[in-house]
Amino acid sequence: MNAIELSGVTWRYEHAKEPALVDVDLAIPEGEFVLVIGPNEAGKTTLVSAIKGLIPNSITGVLKGDVLVFGERVESIKPPVLAKQIGFVFADPESQFTALTVEEEIVFGLENVGWPRETIGKRVEWAARITGVEDLLDKPPYDISGGQKQRVAIASVIAMQPRILILDEPTAMIDPLGKDLVVRICAELKNDHDMTIVVVEHNIEAFAPLADKVVMVNEGRVERVAPPREIFRDLDYLLARDVHPPQVSQVFGRLRERGLYRGELPLSDEEGFASWRTLPEGAAR
Amino acid sequence: MARSEFAKKTLLGIVPADSPFYAFHPVTRLAFLFVLSVTPMFIDRPEINLAIIAMTFGLFWWGRVRMSDLKKYRLLLVTVALFMFIVAYLAPGDKAQLTPVRLVGLTLYWEPMRWAFVSYVRLMAMLFGAILYFSTNRERDVLVGLRTLRLPFQVSYVAGLSLRSAGMFMEDFATIREAEQARALDLDALSLREKVKLYTMYTVPLFAVALRRADEISAALYARGYTLSGRPGTGGKRTDYLRDKSVLRVRDWVVSFGLLGTFVVIAIVSRTTGVFSIQASPLIGFVEQLLGIG
Amino acid sequence: MSLLEVNDLTFQYEDGTSALRGIDFTVEEGEFIALIGQNGSGKTTFAKSLAGLLRPTTGRVVVDGIDTARKGVIKELVRRIGYVFQNPDHQLFNNNVYDEIAYGPTNLGIDDPERDEIVREAAAAAGVREALFTEHPFFLTKGLRQRIAIASTLAMRPKAIIVDEPTTGQDYRQSAEIMTFLTRLWRDEGHTIIIVTHEMPIVAAYAQRVVALCEGRILLDGTTRDVFARPDELRRTFVKPPQVTRLAQAWGDPGIASDVITVEELVDGAVSSIVGRSSASPAGISGGTDPASARGPGRKGQ
Repeated sequence: MNAIELSGVTWRYEHAKEPALVDVDLAIPEGEFVLVIGPNEAGKTTLVSAIKGLIPNSITGVLKGDVLVFGERVESIKPPVLAKQIGFVFADPESQFTALTVEEEIVFGLENVGWPRETIGKRVEWAARITGVEDLLDKPPYDISGGQKQRVAIASVIAMQPRILILDEPTAMIDPLGKDLVVRICAELKNDHDMTIVVVEHNIEAFAPLADKVVMVNEGRVERVAPPREIFRDLDYLLARDVHPPQVSQVFGRLRERGLYRGELPLSDEEGFASWRTLPEGAAR
Repeated sequence: MARSEFAKKTLLGIVPADSPFYAFHPVTRLAFLFVLSVTPMFIDRPEINLAIIAMTFGLFWWGRVRMSDLKKYRLLLVTVALFMFIVAYLAPGDKAQLTPVRLVGLTLYWEPMRWAFVSYVRLMAMLFGAILYFSTNRERDVLVGLRTLRLPFQVSYVAGLSLRSAGMFMEDFATIREAEQARALDLDALSLREKVKLYTMYTVPLFAVALRRADEISAALYARGYTLSGRPGTGGKRTDYLRDKSVLRVRDWVVSFGLLGTFVVIAIVSRTTGVFSIQASPLIGFVEQLLGIG
Repeated sequence: MSLLEVNDLTFQYEDGTSALRGIDFTVEEGEFIALIGQNGSGKTTFAKSLAGLLRPTTGRVVVDGIDTARKGVIKELVRRIGYVFQNPDHQLFNNNVYDEIAYGPTNLGIDDPERDEIVREAAAAAGVREALFTEHPFFLTKGLRQRIAIASTLAMRPKAIIVDEPTTGQDYRQSAEIMTFLTRLWRDEGHTIIIVTHEMPIVAAYAQRVVALCEGRILLDGTTRDVFARPDELRRTFVKPPQVTRLAQAWGDPGIASDVITVEELVDGAVSSIVGRSSASPAGISGGTDPASARGPGRKGQ
């Protein structure tokens, strides 16, 4: 069964003239890691908000079409039940904090669902360990660094052990070390916990190596859906829409255009290093 | 940033890294707050309220609160004093009923001045009680304290949210001030009227920030499965994990009931006898003699 | 005299946190500098100290001859150095765009018609259309609000402008727009520009000089190429050079300069290395040792 299925979804925000999503069809099988890319205002955040049911439940506007989460219409699922199915991490970690301490922040969703104390204790421990925030539990969430805030936000969402995790620009507001840690957390969740993960990001370089599938959104439409190596092959199409694939993919894409490289596009530093060695004429030493 | 060893910042102040207060359950510390800041309402005699202030300072010292952290309240003390005495001077009430006093060329009326002095000392006693609380309690303590008293979840939650907004408000305020300074605003050079006008200007960015945040928080609450009733959608009870983690010990019961008992005794004595009234105050009596009233 | 002179600057917050621990630093007029470093490295505190918004705990910050610790120098300071905050909401206090831009000049005691002229000029420079003058800043897009914030700073005609995280939360096009605009101010109007940022591609593409802070001290200070060519020291600030620089460094190919910072530079280097090698020596071994052919085109030695 598909974890997420959108069919014919069109959405217009209240007071807006143009729809933000236009006739979107998208299916995401369970366990996939999906990277959503596209220019700002293209509809990326709107798309994931629709999956989480923030649209139409928390935001007003006009919706057409169906959004199904594990086969059920998302707007008919009650928030506490939905919270167990889909976790949503907002772009600005600070804006989603509602508690006075990190621990309370993590516990909040768990208490809402009404799990017993022992379960909550174990979940907090688990989420804090994966995100590396064990030492911050008694601190106020606004008095820690930006990267720590983002990890707390992730911890408080994954503590619910949702089957689907959505992250909206999780590295936009944080420093390089923080970005690395967030990527590492996502890798662990993908590899060890079989979560279905949907990430909206401008920082394509960091997430491309993890992605099974890339969704290109432009002007409210899902224009392309393909594995990263395939989608990055059309460099000029992406650059024309101000979307920049990883530099390593760009370099080898250009080499390929000149007939100097024939292999698959590399996505990471390591792959770039390996691809360079395969060049028959290059890397002489 | 390297954190210092001796202090932690909270929303409303700075608390010591280690303090004997931390040995008490948050509820016991709430009892301290309640008794220290409510008792003065039953006491008019300034020397007793001064004694309470002295005792509070003893507790500051015992609780290892850095005295230098209290400096920032100086402005508040002075402003409140000025305000109260100016009101008493400008609007004394029916002058025919009052006792005029000539002092360094000014005609003052004794009763309103006495009222201002007595109320000021009382207010200070109450205020220092609150300052003590926020100088020795972190956000989490406030919350666990409220929840242990079995207040409905929404109450402590809203209290927490407002405390947080208050903190964010103050932070925003500080940034906005910096931004104004960056736009050539010299606060020291402004007249009072210009300052008042300035404060109305602050409301623009403060509201802008608050409005955008309110939207974000309501979406965040939905995303985390929160329903207004505070009840899980499954129909069961909301778990209270944090509250259940702290345990009340014997010493908490003893201290809390000791404090509350003292408060009840003072309140009863105050209502039934005149021990805490102005008339019983030797200090006021002495000043009246000095001024030749009475 | 340098535009900015900082001697042994330290700064401590009221809870005892040491944010800056002894910084010596100078900026000459006309530089384009990026301040980088981890969260908590002290870069925002440092930037605010440079603008005189925070007074040094010890040490001195002198802006164009003015010591920021002196009282009553605000009006002198803002004519020399402007500071644009990260969140435009914090710095827009007026009910319409025109008043917003006129706010600084008004505080400086400038009257119409000179003030009006300054406002229109600053708005034009920042790309704020006059049609927007009567709008309330709150209802405009974030990109526009940021431009209004920059216009309001320009209206005080400072020599140097510090911009805190100009591209955070913006996409490629918006980032490029704002950076191109800052570059124009720098190149055409002679402003000194200092940006605080986490985005290394932005640093690589626009800044001339990079200053990396780590735990309240300056760890690296040099031209952008020099700083990115020192990955080991950079690692201590948790900053990674751009991916192309990392690739060039990892390949260690003598035909490709190790301080490339753009995709085009690396492609050019790789192409000439491959082509040059295959034509010069069939074995592909000796070519790399010849320094004359080792240098990729488009790159000059530093």
